[in-house]
Amino acid sequence: MEVNFGPQHPSTHGVLRVLLRVDGERIIDAKPIIGYLHRGTEKLFEHMAYPQCVPHTDRMDYVASATNNLGFVETVEKLMGIAHMIPKRVQFMRVMLSELQRISSHLLWLATHAIDIGAMTPFFYTFREREEVLDLFEAYCGARLTLNCMRIGGMPDDLPPGWLDDTERFVNKFDAAIDEYESLLTNNRIWKRRTVGIGVLSPEDAIDWGITGPPLRGSGVSWDLRRALPYECYPELKFEIPVGRNGDTYDRYLVRMEEMRQSNSILRQCIPMIKTTPAGEIKAKISRVIRPPEGEVYHSIESPKGELGYHIVSDGKSQNPYRCHVRPPSFVNLQALPALAKGHLVSDLVALIGTIDIVLGEVDR
Amino acid sequence: MQVQYPKASWTDRFLLLDMLEGLKTTFRQLFKPKVTIRYPEERMEPADRFRGMFRFSFDRCIACKLCAIACPIDIIYIDVHDETREVDGKSKKIKVLDRYDIDVKRCMFCSLCEEACPTKPKSIWLTSKTYELATYDRNDLYFNMQELEYWDDRPRYTGLPEDDAAQVGGAPPKQIPGGSE
Amino acid sequence: MNEVNPWMQYLIWPVVKFLIAFGIVQGVVAGMTWIERRLLGFMQARLGPNRVGPQGLFQIIADPVKLMLKEDIIPSSAERIAYFLGPMLPLLPAFIVFTLIPYGPPPAFAVTRVNVGVLLILAITSTAVYGIILGGWASNNKYSLMGGLRSAAQMVSYEVPFGLSIVGVLMLAGSFDLVRIVQYQERHVWNFLPQLVACFIFFVAMSAENNRTPFDLPEAESELVGGYHTEYSGMKFAFFMLGEYSMMLVNSCLMVSLYFGGWTLAMGNIGLTTAVLRGWGFAGGMVGLLIFVSKVMLFMLFYIWMRATFPRFRFDQLMDLGWKWLIPLALVNIFVTGVIVLAGGEKFLPLIGAAIIIATIVLSRRPKAQRKVAHASPVSEG
Repeated sequence: MEVNFGPQHPSTHGVLRVLLRVDGERIIDAKPIIGYLHRGTEKLFEHMAYPQCVPHTDRMDYVASATNNLGFVETVEKLMGIAHMIPKRVQFMRVMLSELQRISSHLLWLATHAIDIGAMTPFFYTFREREEVLDLFEAYCGARLTLNCMRIGGMPDDLPPGWLDDTERFVNKFDAAIDEYESLLTNNRIWKRRTVGIGVLSPEDAIDWGITGPPLRGSGVSWDLRRALPYECYPELKFEIPVGRNGDTYDRYLVRMEEMRQSNSILRQCIPMIKTTPAGEIKAKISRVIRPPEGEVYHSIESPKGELGYHIVSDGKSQNPYRCHVRPPSFVNLQALPALAKGHLVSDLVALIGTIDIVLGEVDR
Repeated sequence: MQVQYPKASWTDRFLLLDMLEGLKTTFRQLFKPKVTIRYPEERMEPADRFRGMFRFSFDRCIACKLCAIACPIDIIYIDVHDETREVDGKSKKIKVLDRYDIDVKRCMFCSLCEEACPTKPKSIWLTSKTYELATYDRNDLYFNMQELEYWDDRPRYTGLPEDDAAQVGGAPPKQIPGGSE
Repeated sequence: MNEVNPWMQYLIWPVVKFLIAFGIVQGVVAGMTWIERRLLGFMQARLGPNRVGPQGLFQIIADPVKLMLKEDIIPSSAERIAYFLGPMLPLLPAFIVFTLIPYGPPPAFAVTRVNVGVLLILAITSTAVYGIILGGWASNNKYSLMGGLRSAAQMVSYEVPFGLSIVGVLMLAGSFDLVRIVQYQERHVWNFLPQLVACFIFFVAMSAENNRTPFDLPEAESELVGGYHTEYSGMKFAFFMLGEYSMMLVNSCLMVSLYFGGWTLAMGNIGLTTAVLRGWGFAGGMVGLLIFVSKVMLFMLFYIWMRATFPRFRFDQLMDLGWKWLIPLALVNIFVTGVIVLAGGEKFLPLIGAAIIIATIVLSRRPKAQRKVAHASPVSEG
């Protein structure tokens, strides 16, 4: 029997369509069909000045726009050769925003993942905390989802008064909130039955597929770009890279939960450190018109979903990128879906889509 | 760092303590404060920097068109003509704004126009704390210079689409039930 | 004078009583939808429906009105007759069963008294599955079909532990008559103590029978969109829901009658026994009814509580649980109970149940091992 799973289906996280061939409920073949949300972002970049591209990067991974911004501005800075001129305060602000974004993205992942498997309460609990993260974003840059919160060579604004205190308040209570989510899921035998041993991804396969982020770490490969190719001020911060052992859905779940704790710890470290940097130093001294020299550069950062890379080619003459290619983590991770789903049941497919943590805006761009 | 796997003793498994743990959490939540905001009566106060509806100041604007250039999706339309005027006894050539339209329905509220504005204070700004922009007619979201400067609280609500045929032009704004006032 | 009019006894009164019971049940079902959404909201840090009327109470009326006024869409490729029958069939057994349950001290508060009541109830409730299979198949939708098939397998296989778990109670009470079972409980102890394992199996099996979380696979919103009722809308959809809630109510009633002392609040003949309630006349009957209803409501609330907490089983795991765990466990329970009853050790059975409950309470209150945080030293101060 052939079943069309999506594009309008409650648990395909947007408009993913999976063409399933099933034998009873057992999946023989799963074929993801993408492109329902294609907006030609990469082509759009070619017709826009560099600063104008930043709001468009928001719309790729729309639940983690700060990291998308970060990847783009860092790539352009690298292309212009001004990466060393970025003030310390800017670096801390960027790290804090992207860690907050990681928390918010993982919370959304947990919410949808849990509701896919049938536990609906974590959805509301996580959204309660996610709302507070979004409030922090709103206080900083004025938007809650599509932040547009970074500029080439700096940040749009300094931190508003009281923002660090609000962040500290959030950080202090967030660990308890994670415990609350875990009390509903981690030990629960139904949750374990639904996740342990589902979609096992061996480390070799994961590397061969080019999978990055929590799915890779869940398979036991300790690879995190924040450590492997450090950017911004990550070398100064202490954090651990959680890795799993079995590479199944449960390990990926544990890895993400631990990552939230680690992000929280990074935020806790950043707060006193950012207070030592001079206020108001939020822009590198560069010209207003951004015209990078001729050349091309690839730069990648660790987005909540994996390696987010930008490859920008500049012709040195115009203010627009000549070509900008995005390497989105969701798109690459989604490749593993057919292999993971084979032999599992239809019920497991929703767990697998959830555990890969795709955002269709990023897959289709 | 290896993630930790929870371990349960056989008594715990036999007595379903893992299930009880979750039940306890949800039961405790019964008595905790709820986070719902009952929207039309309770409203979220946006942060000071919240990027909401535009506001424009004709007096401050110097017609430099920097905002239109900065806009990533080109929704700011500006027409300017030069005029010679007597300023402080000297005749001076100044730019006069003929048209300053924003197609708000296409706007993505990135605030790049506000950042580009060279005047101090800014002549175009989004921090108006207004977010209730929905209308029944998409054309209601095309704002010209006067509308951008003098809107009250929110864009005009011109009634349901059916009413439009009867009332062409400036229909008086109807009160939305449960409005903010 | 003492001649009882057989028409009155066998036709009019049962019908009147049935209609009263039916009305109450429908009221409770309608109320349950509101209670469920409201309580679920509270457990999930939100408010639930609170707009229509005081505390959102008129939602009870607003929902049916909305469902009635909704367009009734019949898919063009649906099997018309079966599609129409689908939502109706589950309602019938649910309504019939309500005539078999004693709500208070008999005979006034029981519609009919059948001496094989439990068997009859089991037989009738198990027919509810036909409607769901039929509805799922007739919709001509792959998701509906999957939902229908899942529910067929699930409900059929959970009939077995459902029935087996009752055997222990029957052995203790020595009767199939629900009234006798309740009266046995007020003389000794409520059956959940001597039959704790059976009580648990019964509870699990009845959640599975009703397609309630964590066994709501047939409708599994996130997997099968809506399962067997994907294609249904308007009143037909409402009938499915009505059937489901009625069955929930029936099963809660059964649970209370079999394991939690029915309309009495008495153990070892102390407390509000049937005799005491009868002594108070009609008022006593009402008190019994009230006790019964409040016990039933507790179980209904427990359903909601479970729904708020648990993830959903997978289909094969559900079958595993039913066939590999619950049925053997039920059989062992029958064996152990039988041996103990034969040996005349009936009095010791409640102690086992009490021991398990106490152990659970003690162990669940023990302080949890502190979670070892990897970044144990607060780095920020360093």
